Amino acid sequence: MTFAVPALSFVVQVAAGLVAAAALVSGALALVATRQPGVALAVLLDLLLAAGLLRLIALADWQAIIGAAAVVVIRKVVVAAYHRGSRVLTEPPTTTVS
Amino acid sequence: MALAVPDNLSPARVLAESSLAGQAEGELQRAVGLLVTVVEACGAVVIIVGALWAFIGFVRAALSRGRTEGFVPVRLRLGRFLALGLEFQLASDVLRTAVAPSFRELGQLAAVAAIRTALNYFLSREIEEERRQVEEGLRRKEETLQ
Repeated sequence: MTFAVPALSFVVQVAAGLVAAAALVSGALALVATRQPGVALAVLLDLLLAAGLLRLIALADWQAIIGAAAVVVIRKVVVAAYHRGSRVLTEPPTTTVS
Repeated sequence: MALAVPDNLSPARVLAESSLAGQAEGELQRAVGLLVTVVEACGAVVIIVGALWAFIGFVRAALSRGRTEGFVPVRLRLGRFLALGLEFQLASDVLRTAVAPSFRELGQLAAVAAIRTALNYFLSREIEEERRQVEEGLRRKEETLQ
């Protein structure tokens, strides 16, 4: 189930590697710029997902499929946890007066 | 007493017709294979362009004031590129089912298509959720400023 032209498969695999490297660079830059690990992790996981999908196109084997699905699940969990945490910090505390 | 075989059912004619059918099927498989490659390449180009655009956007957001808000529109746009790339992949999976030679390969294609559909669904939901949270954040900011 891979590309009919092996050269195209090789090019897409190389592109996947480059996108993964860009993910690490972007994540590091986001961490340095914002000092917020949640933002940096979300940026990293977004580009890693792009790399995973490219690898899925190039190889289309079960390992690539499970890898892409794992990145999606991890990304969803991390982003949901980050948003829940930021919402707790930004919402005003409720106080009761006795 | 030998049976008289009509000309239109003679072994030579049957062989010739099955050979033609085999050739036509081969041509069809080659044409569909080429189409599958083109559609997959389109999907790959969409994802590569989206990733490149997002990388430039993230670097610019980091080098500018470095606020958290600068990263969100870039992430939303990247998510849309990825969802579009997945649509192309689903199209190539559907095309492949046209020339799947066996039930086993058809089953594998169905499994891959199901997983890609699920990925696309969760990605689209996440894009919608992030967009809603961005709008909510903007609305809260406006309320505090007033």
